[in-house]
Amino acid sequence: MKIAIRRKAKPRAGIEDEYRTSLREYVAGGGEPALGRAYELGRRALTEQKSLVEMASLHHQAVLSLVCGTESEKRREKLLRSSGEFFAECLSPYEMAHRGFQDAVKALRQLNETLEEEIKRIAYAVHDEAGQLLVAVHLALAEVTPELPEPQQVQVARIKELLNQVEKHLRRYSHELRPTILDDLGWIPAIRFLAEGISKRAALPIHIDASVSERLPGAIETTLYRIVQEALTNAVKHAKAGNVWIRAWRENLLLCCSIRDDGGGFDSCQAQARAGRKGLGLIAMQERVTSIGGTLRIESRPGQGTELSIRLPLEGDHANSHRTRG
Amino acid sequence: MSVGEIQVAIKSDQDIVSARQKGRLMASEMGFSSGDATLIATAISELARNIVSYAHKGQITLKMVNGTNRQGISVIATDNGPGIPDIRQALRDGFSTSGSLGLGLPGVRRLMDEFEITSQPGRGTTVAVKKWRQ
Repeated sequence: MKIAIRRKAKPRAGIEDEYRTSLREYVAGGGEPALGRAYELGRRALTEQKSLVEMASLHHQAVLSLVCGTESEKRREKLLRSSGEFFAECLSPYEMAHRGFQDAVKALRQLNETLEEEIKRIAYAVHDEAGQLLVAVHLALAEVTPELPEPQQVQVARIKELLNQVEKHLRRYSHELRPTILDDLGWIPAIRFLAEGISKRAALPIHIDASVSERLPGAIETTLYRIVQEALTNAVKHAKAGNVWIRAWRENLLLCCSIRDDGGGFDSCQAQARAGRKGLGLIAMQERVTSIGGTLRIESRPGQGTELSIRLPLEGDHANSHRTRG
Repeated sequence: MSVGEIQVAIKSDQDIVSARQKGRLMASEMGFSSGDATLIATAISELARNIVSYAHKGQITLKMVNGTNRQGISVIATDNGPGIPDIRQALRDGFSTSGSLGLGLPGVRRLMDEFEITSQPGRGTTVAVKKWRQ
């Protein structure tokens, strides 16, 4: 996963020195107290956002400086073994964090699946159940209308017209929630349908330029549709955009899609920083794209609009389906 | 106290080291890999750390346990501290600073195979965890 914004953390000075000192103590027979310090150092490094790669290099440097002054091979071997034990101890907080993240990703993935199921259910309820109720209302009206005097008949006709509009809207919402077009014709037509509806409702011009037409596996098409849907919702709700441009194209074996608006934008660094609390939208989007093997880049600055870029490698089956279907 | 049971009083950082050492020794004597012994020591550290930070004193009990076809190590951390008013919240990632990184109680739960916690506000907390030998 590629994120445009990188949080830079300033490590408290001295972690390298402390690591070297404690490692030296452990190698010299420092035992459990030194191992305890290794663990505390790892914990501190983690909270100071030192990366694993940085830790590996720090460890490597510390070991090098120890080994260089050691002549005896036996002693060197012992030294390397103890260094390994010390390093493992230092990494154990990272192991905890790693397991935590794995659990979180799993939970997010399950949440996405549940949401998709829920959306299907709601779309069905809106389309079929509410639709049937409307039919019943129409029938009931038809039954009473002939018995009514002329002026009321005109009123009833107006009510029928309103009901027709309600029905049209419900059908539209239901299709946008879970468009049958998505399954029947693919994600690009589904996005055109969605954009048309949002464009009308929000008086927001949405320009679509798509030079791809191949069908992709269902899960991928659903994900692409949801990302565009979320981006459009954001453009209307938060960004107060004047225009949105959606582009979809291929670069060799890469499928690219970008959604750009000229709205208010936001500080993407801040959004990432508070992502743990509020930015579930962004995280969920990232996770969804990651789950289909793609990357999502979000670029935004206050006053300069927002651009979301999805890049998805088309390999094996997807690429072949493109060739066979044109 | 039965055979194979060790109690360590926890009041200070030195006691944490001592509990780690005894846990690691017991784990390696039982045939746990050194990697698993490290994870057990880490879990002990997190539990003992909680005792020192929140209850100031308590104890860690280490025990060998037998399952149907397997052997494991049990670590029980008890204290008579302030207790945890909302256990579910305490087990959620992101509840505390350390929790947001998956450390603390949520971290311990992920390192071990079994995890049980009981707590009464004003009376104290007991966390019992087990890890089975692979």
